[in-house]
Amino acid sequence: MLFFRSEETVDRWCKQRGLPRCPIINLEQLWFLAVTWYGNRLTAESRRPGPDEMVQIFAQVGLEGPFWDPKADQW
Amino acid sequence: MDFDTTVKMKLYEMIAGRADPLAIKIPTLANIPTSIEVAQVLGVPLEDVAAVFERLHKKRLLVPEPGDPTRIRMAPPFSGVETPFKVRVKQRTFFANCAWDSLGIAAALHEDAIIDASDAATGEPITLEVKLGQPVAQECAIHFVVPAAKWWEDIIYT
Repeated sequence: MLFFRSEETVDRWCKQRGLPRCPIINLEQLWFLAVTWYGNRLTAESRRPGPDEMVQIFAQVGLEGPFWDPKADQW
Repeated sequence: MDFDTTVKMKLYEMIAGRADPLAIKIPTLANIPTSIEVAQVLGVPLEDVAAVFERLHKKRLLVPEPGDPTRIRMAPPFSGVETPFKVRVKQRTFFANCAWDSLGIAAALHEDAIIDASDAATGEPITLEVKLGQPVAQECAIHFVVPAAKWWEDIIYT
């Protein structure tokens, strides 16, 4: 996942590579994901969220649908 | 604490200290210690640490360097190689694996941070700041190309 200044530069990047535009999130959503994923990474209790937990975490910041479902086979 | 957790904790402790120039005890270019270095610090056989690294990889907590399993490419959110996601925390410099992990380093260390990155399309520098436990607001977009179900098919690309 990459940083862009704006959605316009995302579109330019996709066009340059012939790739479809995929979901874009903002800084606030990214910070939520960073804290949720890594906030306790330096502790003994840390672990990676399971697939169902991932779906719930993404949904908390409005990221829903098969793209955000690690068990999906279509997106 | 079980042995796998002991190794994981030592690894992250060494990463957090390794990036501090004053704390470097084992000269190396990488910010992530090798299995050899972790075994030396813990005083345990190398093969035991190597086995833990392998188990942590299976749990998707580590990614070995392709072609050299003694080295780690990713101990998320930290990168074992230089990347376009440079994270400065106090006097220390880390590299993150991606946009998500760049904020993840600040979150993992519970520290303020300055992230030097760039717009992937234009190359324009993008500097982000985490201050008092929150990112300082600014215009930017984070684009995900790979769906969640595919992230670990090629996590280095993801």
